[in-house]
Amino acid sequence: MTGTTTAADRGLPTWARSVLVFALIYIFLVGVSSLESGIKVMGADTQANLFESVNNPIAGLFVGILGTVLVQSSSASTSVVVGLVASGALGVDAAVPMIMGANIGTTVTNTLVSLGSIRQSDEFKRAFAAATVHDFFNLLAVTILLPIELLTGALSSIATSITEALGGSAGSEWKSPIKKWVKEPVGWLKDGLGELGLEENFLGTSMVLVGLVIVLAALTFITKNMKKLVADRVERSLNAVLGSGGGTVAMVLGLVITVAVQSSSITTSIMVPLAAAGVVTLRNIFPVTLGANVGTTITALLAALASGSVDALTIALVHTTFNVIGIALLYPMPRIRMIPLRAAERMADLAVERHTMAVAYVITLFIVIPLIGVAIFR
Amino acid sequence: MVMTFFRRGDGENSLDQITARTVSMVSDARHSFDLASAALLSGADVETIGQDVRQTDERINEAEQDLRGQLVVHVSVQGSSDIGEVLGLILLIKKIERIGDQNKNILYLAEDGADLSEAPDLEMLIGFRRTISEMLGQAADIIAAGDEDGATELRKRTNDLQVELQDHIRELMHSEEPGHKVVPRAILYRYWKRIVANIAGVVTTATEPLQHQGYQDDGATDIDD
Repeated sequence: MTGTTTAADRGLPTWARSVLVFALIYIFLVGVSSLESGIKVMGADTQANLFESVNNPIAGLFVGILGTVLVQSSSASTSVVVGLVASGALGVDAAVPMIMGANIGTTVTNTLVSLGSIRQSDEFKRAFAAATVHDFFNLLAVTILLPIELLTGALSSIATSITEALGGSAGSEWKSPIKKWVKEPVGWLKDGLGELGLEENFLGTSMVLVGLVIVLAALTFITKNMKKLVADRVERSLNAVLGSGGGTVAMVLGLVITVAVQSSSITTSIMVPLAAAGVVTLRNIFPVTLGANVGTTITALLAALASGSVDALTIALVHTTFNVIGIALLYPMPRIRMIPLRAAERMADLAVERHTMAVAYVITLFIVIPLIGVAIFR
Repeated sequence: MVMTFFRRGDGENSLDQITARTVSMVSDARHSFDLASAALLSGADVETIGQDVRQTDERINEAEQDLRGQLVVHVSVQGSSDIGEVLGLILLIKKIERIGDQNKNILYLAEDGADLSEAPDLEMLIGFRRTISEMLGQAADIIAAGDEDGATELRKRTNDLQVELQDHIRELMHSEEPGHKVVPRAILYRYWKRIVANIAGVVTTATEPLQHQGYQDDGATDIDD
């Protein structure tokens, strides 16, 4: 059984894949910038009409969930939100609930992965609990932190303070070196579409659509290639930590893996089969999931670098702050920590008793409630 | 521990590392086989030997659990691209673990009072013990080197030895000797036969993790666990 090759060995050599990832990150940043420029090209009235519906924070929350479920990536949806904030069309206050919604929406992926073991009761119970603990933690965090944010603006204040400490003030621009690098290709795109005869709203819409496609495609390929690049490291560190690591170590590992692969869904979805097989317990998985929550915020921060907008950096930092404060509130005290764990276990019990409950749970939480919510609160 | 992520790998992939650990599992299995057989054939102190055999078996079982976990992590992270090799390794470590169990069974025979140190056919019994022990050593070498020719040759020898051991079992079934003399020997032959069958399984799995497509099992290749 010797002489085998790893997944990372197959295909491109490591150096070439690394270069490809850097190129894809650049393309991703061009996509975010194109999105921002496209919104700016649209008239002020169009901008106002477009984002009127998310001025209600509850509608914003549900739009965040739906958008993320649709693209199956909070990295993508939060990057789009950062682009919208950078354009000035969406305020930081209106974007905060959308960011929180993205946090909830991203948990759909590992929940869907857990449905794969629905035929084996014991495995399914463990897998479903491992997946839904992420849902329950994020729901609980939003339930606590959204009202606090709406009443006091605490999260955005903290994020603004960090931004100011970094040298920016609200509504202004800061000298992002990355913005300079991405400006030119966005200009070419704008000129190219302009030569096709597109103007104002049509031109803006086209740039937004192209930007969206670029962001989604680039993120997909970044994640795929990064996964291949770091798969051996992920495997090695999981073996080292899951055997003997404590909660904090597991949390840091979840963060590191997620930053490396640019996707919390990858990290949390890796954990689901491990839980199903009984290799790790729900309590081992929980901190990894929380680390992934924080790690996934790196993409929005990266997207903010492309904009040079202080507000964009602020909303990206709100994403990080929300997840860090969520952990600080819900993880250290064992009694509170048990709430999402027990909820996940109870939900898994119900799902095993009636498989339709599992499917109904996914459809209701991630599609039906957000749709109804948007319809009512927009 | 998180720093493991940032450390450079040693060039070996995880499946190679797991394979290397199966080699040490086989070495452990050989160690406990030698000890358990010695308890029965040399009249050595069963209590002292028993401790060592149990500790070694525990080590084998822990390694089995650990490696199975690592294989699940491997598939979760790397996907199913090398699933054949993973399944092969799961089978392999299970077979090694079974050898450990059979060694413990041999020890139980000694603990139950069986003593063949003064048996008239002791030389032959010691010969079997030596042959099987050497086979375990060869199996470890074959796994480490992925030596297909060596596996084929060893598999042939294990088949011959199984036939020989079965002949002795059959002979004892029709023996006129009293039960307390015949039964321990027959049971020992039976355990040895199982160990030899598992050695054959180990080298087969190590060099051909999954049977080739179109393989039809007619029962002749059944492995006695």
